[in-house]
Amino acid sequence: MHAPLRIASTVCLSLFAAAAVTGSAQRATPPASADSAANVTARIVAAANAVLATLDDGGRAKVQFPFDGPQKSKWSNLPSGIFQREGLRLADLTPAQRTAVNALLSTALSRDGYRKVTEIMRGDGVLGRGQAQGRAGGPPPGGAAGGGGRGGRDGNLRFAEDEYFLAFLGTPSVTAPWMLQFGGHHLAINLTLAGRQASMAPSLPAAQPAMYEFEGRTVRPLGNENDKAFALINALDEGQRKQAILTYRVSDLVLGPGKDGQTIQPEGVRASSLTAPQQTMLVDIVREWAGIQNDAFAEPRMAEIRTNLAETYFAWSGPTTNGSAAYFRIQGPTLVIEYAPQGGVDHIHTIYRDPTNDYGAKFSRK
Amino acid sequence: MCTTVAGAAGVSAHRRDEYLQAARLAIDPAAVQLELDLTPGIALADPIVAAIDGNADGSFSGAEQRVYAGKVMTLVSLDVDGTPLSIQLDGSRFPDIASMRRGEGTIRLQTSATLPPLSSGAHRLRFRNRHDPDRSVYLANALVPRSYQIAVTAQQRDTVQSELAIDYILRGAPPRSSAAWLIGGIAVAMALSVLRMRRGRDQ
Repeated sequence: MHAPLRIASTVCLSLFAAAAVTGSAQRATPPASADSAANVTARIVAAANAVLATLDDGGRAKVQFPFDGPQKSKWSNLPSGIFQREGLRLADLTPAQRTAVNALLSTALSRDGYRKVTEIMRGDGVLGRGQAQGRAGGPPPGGAAGGGGRGGRDGNLRFAEDEYFLAFLGTPSVTAPWMLQFGGHHLAINLTLAGRQASMAPSLPAAQPAMYEFEGRTVRPLGNENDKAFALINALDEGQRKQAILTYRVSDLVLGPGKDGQTIQPEGVRASSLTAPQQTMLVDIVREWAGIQNDAFAEPRMAEIRTNLAETYFAWSGPTTNGSAAYFRIQGPTLVIEYAPQGGVDHIHTIYRDPTNDYGAKFSRK
Repeated sequence: MCTTVAGAAGVSAHRRDEYLQAARLAIDPAAVQLELDLTPGIALADPIVAAIDGNADGSFSGAEQRVYAGKVMTLVSLDVDGTPLSIQLDGSRFPDIASMRRGEGTIRLQTSATLPPLSSGAHRLRFRNRHDPDRSVYLANALVPRSYQIAVTAQQRDTVQSELAIDYILRGAPPRSSAAWLIGGIAVAMALSVLRMRRGRDQ
């Protein structure tokens, strides 16, 4: 090889090598524990196939959708009767089919995530029984005006523990991207899997009632989220709180359903100005959402969030006494979480997004 | 299994008698995009439907949609550094009446305004929404700019978010990256080397 060409080639190769080393450092998702994530995906696929095996042709046609299609963004916090969901409806399943679906969910989600989802669903059953009481002529619990007891349009709404829908987008696979979609009133889990990687963004855990009694114990599906956030806002010093607390009222989610692909300007106190214990508290709040998915996927996700923590913001709107209705937002380069009470403490909407990887966009980019 | 409610409302309290108006603003060097989502609560659906469906035929015609959108936009304003901007309606999406009556109907208005030539440096864009204040709740947010030339430095709102002031910095056009120059230079040098070698062989 002639000298000028050799020199030029060497320089080019060096440049490319340098770019490869430096290009992905800051915001890359650390690789999952390779074996455990792959094993978990395999178990989820097996569980999904087990669900399919319980279905007839009609059931399979109901549950399966193309990976890239309108079903991907067809999720909502709204109840049946307002929002028409597609997929397999739990209420239509046999006990064996329900068992298979529960096994799938408990495999795909972490232990705490499965508990949270179950508690949200059970809460919808509580809501439904309260509505039925109102229709029977008694006052709705809490005496809420304009409730379901008046019938009319609200008479078409259905709140129940089994009014939840399952869908598979794409074919369950240990290698190719596919999505497990599960949701109903106040719940949307959109879990995209691609081999060893997974993204639970966007997902929407919500709750109403935010507190109820079950088998002698008090259940608060989003209690940890609430309590940890109030603890953090009250752990800030005066200067930090002044940055964190927004001077205006936020009445609802900004990036809820239908707001895919939008990133708002971050506001609030930057995590880089928090002390180490305060940062730990912030990360602990984030885990309430990021940790809903199986631990094998949650841990690399948490590592990614910690990597970007310095550029993460915590914003608050409302009173700072726990028990009050207050909005908060956590936003970083790969994360948006919002917690938005809907007019009171008993009805909460939240959203969890990754503006860089909603619907596993990074995994399925061609 | 025994469940009882220990809380306030026992029935779903999805937005009923409020009109949610959510504005998102994107600033580019030469223009502003404003997207406005209007979602009436279930209890407001009938009067809003009536306000749009002028001939009460049970559907929103194109003309009716334009009229309603136009009415809304007369109550929305934008200015930059105090200079009013002319907002044009680029597109709209209206739900069907049934969706609106179910409480899931969102009207989306997509608008834009051309910015006058601005010097590099600090500027302020101000947004105001005066549409239906008595029964509305507002959200107003700046989106992360798409252009390197724009950096949002602060947002200030009134307490109900019907007004939003966005402070931003306009930078000059970005320089080409030094890496790109270096790679380009190497490519040119390689091409020249090849040409010289070929000339040497031909001679």
